[in-house]
Amino acid sequence: MNSSIRNRLLTILFVFGLGIYALLPSIRYAMMDDESISNLSSEQKDYFESRSLKQGLDLKGGIYIVLEVDLPQLIDNLAKNKDNNFDDFLDELKIEYNNSSSDFFTVFENIADDKNLKLPRYFINYGKTKDQIITQLSLQSEDSIKRVIEIIQNRVDQFGVAEPTIQKQGNNRVIVELAGIEDSERARDLLQSTALLELMIVKDVESTNAMIRQIDSITASSTSKNSIDEDSEINELFDSNTSSNLGFSSLLISVGGNLAISSENLGSMKEILAQDNVKQILEATNSTILTSDSSIKLINEIGEEEEFYTLYHLFNNAELTGGVIEDAQMRLSQAGVTAGQAVVEVEMNSEGSREWARITGANINNRIAIVLDRKVHMAPVIRGQIFGGGTVIEGLDSIEEAEDIAIVLRAGALPVPVTIAEERTVGASLGADSISKGTLSMAIGLLLVVLFIVLFYKLSGLIASFSVLWTLILLLGVLALLEATLTLPGIAGLILTVGMSVDANVIIFERIKEELRNGKSVRSAIDSGYERAIRTIVDANLTTGIAAAVLYQYGSGPIKGFATVLFWGIIVSMFTAIIVTRFVFDFITTRKNVEKLSI
Amino acid sequence: MKFMENTKINFMKFKSFGFGLSSVLAFGSIIMLLMGVNLGIDFKGGTAIGVNFSEDVSIQEIRSALKSVSVNESVLDLSSEEIKYFGSESDVMIKIKSLDNEPENFGQLVINHLYNSMTEKVPENKNDFILSLGSVSPKVGSELSGKAFWSVISALVLILFYISVRFEFRFALGAILALVHDVIITLGVFSLTGFEITLSTVAAFLTIVGYSLNDTIVILDRIRENMKSSGTVMFESTINKSINQSLSRTLITSLTTLFVIIVLLIYGGEVIRPFSFTMLIGVIVGTYSSIYIASALLATIYQSSK
Repeated sequence: MNSSIRNRLLTILFVFGLGIYALLPSIRYAMMDDESISNLSSEQKDYFESRSLKQGLDLKGGIYIVLEVDLPQLIDNLAKNKDNNFDDFLDELKIEYNNSSSDFFTVFENIADDKNLKLPRYFINYGKTKDQIITQLSLQSEDSIKRVIEIIQNRVDQFGVAEPTIQKQGNNRVIVELAGIEDSERARDLLQSTALLELMIVKDVESTNAMIRQIDSITASSTSKNSIDEDSEINELFDSNTSSNLGFSSLLISVGGNLAISSENLGSMKEILAQDNVKQILEATNSTILTSDSSIKLINEIGEEEEFYTLYHLFNNAELTGGVIEDAQMRLSQAGVTAGQAVVEVEMNSEGSREWARITGANINNRIAIVLDRKVHMAPVIRGQIFGGGTVIEGLDSIEEAEDIAIVLRAGALPVPVTIAEERTVGASLGADSISKGTLSMAIGLLLVVLFIVLFYKLSGLIASFSVLWTLILLLGVLALLEATLTLPGIAGLILTVGMSVDANVIIFERIKEELRNGKSVRSAIDSGYERAIRTIVDANLTTGIAAAVLYQYGSGPIKGFATVLFWGIIVSMFTAIIVTRFVFDFITTRKNVEKLSI
Repeated sequence: MKFMENTKINFMKFKSFGFGLSSVLAFGSIIMLLMGVNLGIDFKGGTAIGVNFSEDVSIQEIRSALKSVSVNESVLDLSSEEIKYFGSESDVMIKIKSLDNEPENFGQLVINHLYNSMTEKVPENKNDFILSLGSVSPKVGSELSGKAFWSVISALVLILFYISVRFEFRFALGAILALVHDVIITLGVFSLTGFEITLSTVAAFLTIVGYSLNDTIVILDRIRENMKSSGTVMFESTINKSINQSLSRTLITSLTTLFVIIVLLIYGGEVIRPFSFTMLIGVIVGTYSSIYIASALLATIYQSSK
């Protein structure tokens, strides 16, 4: 064996060894049954999970969510001395931002200029000039996205998902990928919940009644104005029983000492509460109106079952917020009417405990509402001062809900609400279906290809088949090393790679055949065949490689996955076709004088 | 085995016929595209829901179940949205256009509504009911289409540049025109079938670009090589010779790729079907175009520049 052949053999063996080594954890992990996987220690499991080839959500099932921080809401939260001008500005900002592709603060600045809005009036804490304020506000927004990511990371960690991916996208988005999640609804709620916990004092019955009368007088007057304007339609007005025209109190019923509203009327109530003069009344009396989280089913006057939500009239400023929470745990309630139900026990830090003792002491016999994400979970009467900072949240639907609320309370509240900009959930069954059918057809397809080339090129075809197989193995190995995720478009990339790898071999063989037909000896036909074919192969592959690199650079999600596979596929298939098969041919022809080539 | 060796087919004789056929196909495809491409939610925004019933259902049943869906505070009529079977008659795909003021978790609300209103025909566990759920806000949709568009355009420009350097500009022009031709015709056939264009199908189109490019370069490379000995005299016969020389390679490669794709089309499952179909059309058109667009255009360009 001459030294050139030996060096080449060593290189090839080294690369193959590396490929197998990279793929080994994936193969071992895939071969394990559920039982042996559950027997693994968590370190072993981490090892296998990080080292094996990951399947994308489209194959494995799971949930991919792009959360967008509600920047207009953040601005609204940060602003002071808000007035009608500001509200108009904010409305336009929301619409404009949703329809444009520009940066949020560019849109912000443009609209502020258009409307001649005096920014220092609303954001005096953030600077005296427009530029200062915008710089400070964008710092604030960056800060809040950082916090959002941290908190979501916390929540996901506590929820217990294998290999969650959480990453920032652009200025105001977070991508969360949770593979293998079955209950997508629960996961989504967990991510999106702002987890804003507020403890608010419930106002007494007299002031509630006074408030409702005041709102009634406004809604009634606006109704009468309407009927004058639209005189001809007066009959229609009487016929239509739209409750909003009959005043606020007509929407409400009294259930066991509480006010309640049917689910159908929630929309009308929202409209009434959004009216400017109603807002003014609420602001002037420092109150807010919220509804309960869970509903009760009651039979209405025409005998149909309807859902009702309890209405609460509360002091607007929260006595305490979730910031003081040190720990929150789900427990099954032991005693009382709630025995057996899931509750969340909350413990506060020392500052919170002191405050809690003061609040409960000052409000004995008042009701205190426990409000989570602006929904009232319960409003018990304070019987006596509570020391030690413990409280219990009741009124939860299920153990899962209680667990999730405990998680979000522990992980902290999101500084701003987030909305879902993009979501892709793939059920586990669909994913499993895709992967089993995909694998089956890849296997059948490969078998057909191998049969075809062997039939065609005989022994040389066998060499080519091995090179194609090795291309696949090495490519999967590279992907495992890169910790890339295999998705459906990635499989497309694999197919293209197989195609190009077969093609490279075919180009070489056809050249060699041509040289043989021109009367060259086997040895020189192989040499010149390879020499000529290599140029073609390199040109063809490099051009495709350029396309792959560009797609990787600019593409998003699935396209990026495709580009990664294609790029490495090109490199690997060039290696196997040019170096590996060439070596095999050289090895055979140098050992003995081959007179006829099986091609 | 001998296959297509030493053929002497006069491909360029049918050049005008090829141009004619391609023009008709491309023109038809462009009309198809103008009449409306079925863009998926990835590019348009909206919600797509795949659900799996425990027995066969009729589309009509689903439509009437979607007649009044109450979400949060309003009641929506979704019965006229796009509803179709997905693989079997018990799996259904529903595509809902994006709404103004869409409520949070709209897709889930619709799933819940279906699950609760068709109780006799749904699996016991709600998680088994959900095959897939996708929702894309219109803002993200327009961003995704912008990105997909610009990545394809920049890839094409760079390829043009590379081929111009390695070969010459006239070669690059032929190659790029062949690519555009392939993508347009495949898109046309694609929209004829009513499949929708998603990010995955864009990946399929990119695969076609890659494949067709590979095919074209192989033939152009032969032409370049033969031009060294024969120059640009008798250019058409040089091209014919080159195509014939690489014909067996072209056919063998196309055939092996087609094997894989046909198997994928038959056994690959519902999710991957639009993808395999795109590839099938693309490979056929791509093989044809390397001969009749890339090479034939080159012949025409050389003749006219003489």
